[in-house]
Amino acid sequence: MTHGRPFILTAVVLSLLLSACAGTQSRNTDPVYDPWEGFNRKVYAFNDGLDKVVRPIAVGYDKIMPDPFQRGVGNFFRNLDAPVTFVNQILQAKGTQSVDTFFRFLINSTVGLLGFFDVASKMGIPYYNEDLGQTLAKWGYEDSRYLMLPVFGPSTLRDGVSRYVDSLYHPVGRAIHGRNEWGYWIVRGIDQRARYLDQDAELESAYDPYVLLRDVWRQSRQYQIYDGDPPLEDYDLYLEEDLPEAESDSGE
Amino acid sequence: MKKRVRILLVAGAFAFAGNLFAQQDGADPVALVTETTGRIFTELDQNFERYQADPAALEALVRKDLMPLLDVHYSARLILGRAGRGLTKEKVDEFAEAMINLLVSRYAKGLLLFSSHEPLRVLPQRGELNEKLTKVRTRVKLPNGGEAPIDYAFHKTADGWQAFDVIVEGISYVTTFRNQIMPDVRANGIDSVIARLKGGDLELAD
Repeated sequence: MTHGRPFILTAVVLSLLLSACAGTQSRNTDPVYDPWEGFNRKVYAFNDGLDKVVRPIAVGYDKIMPDPFQRGVGNFFRNLDAPVTFVNQILQAKGTQSVDTFFRFLINSTVGLLGFFDVASKMGIPYYNEDLGQTLAKWGYEDSRYLMLPVFGPSTLRDGVSRYVDSLYHPVGRAIHGRNEWGYWIVRGIDQRARYLDQDAELESAYDPYVLLRDVWRQSRQYQIYDGDPPLEDYDLYLEEDLPEAESDSGE
Repeated sequence: MKKRVRILLVAGAFAFAGNLFAQQDGADPVALVTETTGRIFTELDQNFERYQADPAALEALVRKDLMPLLDVHYSARLILGRAGRGLTKEKVDEFAEAMINLLVSRYAKGLLLFSSHEPLRVLPQRGELNEKLTKVRTRVKLPNGGEAPIDYAFHKTADGWQAFDVIVEGISYVTTFRNQIMPDVRANGIDSVIARLKGGDLELAD
């Protein structure tokens, strides 16, 4: 989840953000906090256009590269995120877990040949995923408005900014800041995109793909923030004022 | 990923699988899920070839075991939300029926993917048992050896404990369907949505 990113993109995001602040209105916002829906939908459309180029490349990558290789690439990128997880585990006072992450990074970076092989998992060292967005949520910044980032996709204001901050101490982020980092980003982007190919049909056939992506992303993110045990939805909210009249047969 | 979610859904059906008569007084949701999954797996294990050859029988089995543990009408109302306002109970039930039929046939199709004898564990109840809303947590063994979390939202009804939402890796089906179906119904009308559900033309984000 945590990626660094080229500074120039951040600048683009921020400028888009600022322009978005001027009066966009929500249309279909159910219990989801999406006051910038109008703007977000425009970015979604932009990303969708970009995908016309990216998707065929990802499909080709998926076809050509054998699965073990793809897994290796995935492991490699995941391993690079370990320092970000580590720092945020400390920030969230998850001491024991941070030790796991530390050894995981150490083992996979060496014995696992720069992270291509996830040796640590085979040794039973658990994998965790933390980032600054999750840390801030734990610290009380729970509800953040939905924000569709150009190129990077679904996020929130909190998570978008956090992503940039995390990139400042991300190992690759540090190494490549100010250099020609496009190679890294392109490969990473293709790898990421290839992971979601299976879901394309589902998204396309949805009544409102924008909303489907938002809902699924938001819920997955909650799941991450609560380390796999988020509270249940507030179902009463779904029902209140929505009740067809004169019905109380659901026996509560 | 899609395939995986479908597998999870199927596995989810297992967790529901139970018999109406199994619901004795005092049985809590965790006990219900545990006991009934044990039974359904035995049934499937013993007649694997038969069910493999006869998808209709499998669908019937799923329906028989699944339905008593589901509060379909309540799910439908949650999903319809504002769009359900002013609809007759019959209309809501028709919608619920169409929705559940589609899900049941999906479940049944994928059921046979599971041949493991213990594909599922039910985690112990945590905290107080709340009759309005109780989460039952299960972990499903995936063919690749991993485990995936599937949780259920249960509440107590006149017919005993019933589930009305499935949450796969944090993603609630009620919430996700709701935000697709509610605007659809408001734009095109309930009959159009029911017709497409019946024709299998409407994806339920599987």
